Amino acid sequence: MSLKSLTKPWQPMSYGFLDASAKRELRRKMLKSVAVPGCQMPYASREVPMARGWGTGGLQVSLTLLNPQLRVKVIDQGADDSVNAASIRRFLALVSGAPVTLDTLGADLIQSRHRIPEEIMREDQILVLQVPNPEPLRSVQPNMSIARQMHADADYGRMWLQLYEQIVRSGRVMQGAGYPSLVNGRHVMTPSPIPRWDVPKLNMAKHLTILSAGREKRIFAVPPYTRVKPLVFDDVPYRVEDHGGLTCSRSTAKGFFMNEIPQVDGSSTYEVSDSSYGVKTIQKRDGDAVQFGETWYNDGEMTQ
Amino acid sequence: MLTTPVQSPEEAAGNATFDALLWALSRPGMARTLPEPSDSPIIDALIDRECKVHCNDPLLVPQILRSGANQIDIVGADHVFLAVLDDIAALDDVAKGSDLYPDDGATVVLQVTLDRGPRVQLSGPGVDGTLALRIGGLPAGFWQRRAALSRYPMGFDLFLRDGAQVVGIPRSTKVEVL
Repeated sequence: MSLKSLTKPWQPMSYGFLDASAKRELRRKMLKSVAVPGCQMPYASREVPMARGWGTGGLQVSLTLLNPQLRVKVIDQGADDSVNAASIRRFLALVSGAPVTLDTLGADLIQSRHRIPEEIMREDQILVLQVPNPEPLRSVQPNMSIARQMHADADYGRMWLQLYEQIVRSGRVMQGAGYPSLVNGRHVMTPSPIPRWDVPKLNMAKHLTILSAGREKRIFAVPPYTRVKPLVFDDVPYRVEDHGGLTCSRSTAKGFFMNEIPQVDGSSTYEVSDSSYGVKTIQKRDGDAVQFGETWYNDGEMTQ
Repeated sequence: MLTTPVQSPEEAAGNATFDALLWALSRPGMARTLPEPSDSPIIDALIDRECKVHCNDPLLVPQILRSGANQIDIVGADHVFLAVLDDIAALDDVAKGSDLYPDDGATVVLQVTLDRGPRVQLSGPGVDGTLALRIGGLPAGFWQRRAALSRYPMGFDLFLRDGAQVVGIPRSTKVEVL
């Protein structure tokens, strides 16, 4: 063994920013998280040039997967053009030379904060979700060692109790985002703070979903064709947001998840949350040739 | 302004290997292609000094030593490379993790012959309904022993390699011998 065989030529920066050992560790943990769907795997979240809590977990997963052929799309609350999405997209392209896109259909890797695109993702696509709080039990058990034991025992009674109490107090489940969901009939996970509207999209989806929390140093995954069932009582059906009847005021797209925009007179207008879908709808109205994919919701109803 | 770093050949191979392994494990039973027909790209992509490796293939030992990994007995190893598996009793010693930390379960890489041998049917996460395939070269009773040893979420994850083709069988997959 010589010194030369142990060293590598000098580089100003590792490809994809992360060093090789960070990538290997993430690879090992990603494989384990796919093997046990919905189970939170601890990992050594590395420093990246972005504050913890701003998508560093998702960023590390994307950096590990990136190569110069992988086309990347980044979304923040449905929008491609918000500060968080734009800066992550620019960073990913800068450190890897990967091409970028705004179109869900053209992307190989979609890193997202708090939304799943409206168009159905394909079998070869990977969705990376940024997770602020990976522990669904935190609201009922703040001690994370005990929460881990509860996951090990599949002891989710308190989770059900919390939902029951919400129904008793308010007449409905008040959990708006990050609805606790049972994965593969075994582990309860938080699907990251996606709206209730998006949770059914994960059930038996064709794509691979990887959820990563950089600040909390946990990673978990939902492989394709995996059961993801929101926790619901038999007699209280799961309800998504009542956005099925709303129309986007800018693009006239109808039956998708909307952003509510308050008006001066106290009323509201709405615009479609998936900005790329809204833009495509406007382009189509203007007579441009655009390609639409199948959507999970049609006229506000889940298709499957 | 920073210049975009260029992907080195080692980096590209590691990335392609991991892509194959990740998709193999995400879609159990569907073969993916490794950059070269051996276990060495898997070692390069996954193994470093944080790993405890058991390997019974003398040809791979120098590479594992170079990676800095601890070479240990099969008990307690987190990555197990078995070029030959004669006795299924070896499976008893493979780390299965715990209910608290299922990620302590080992990754086991075996050499098999795909498209020949007994037919098995897979179901579970990653499989759209069921999937039947032929996997040869494993000792008799292998799948029964795997089922007896795994109590989900404890268990070990398999990569079955035939040349450059690799099939992943995670612990969540139910394997029925037809």
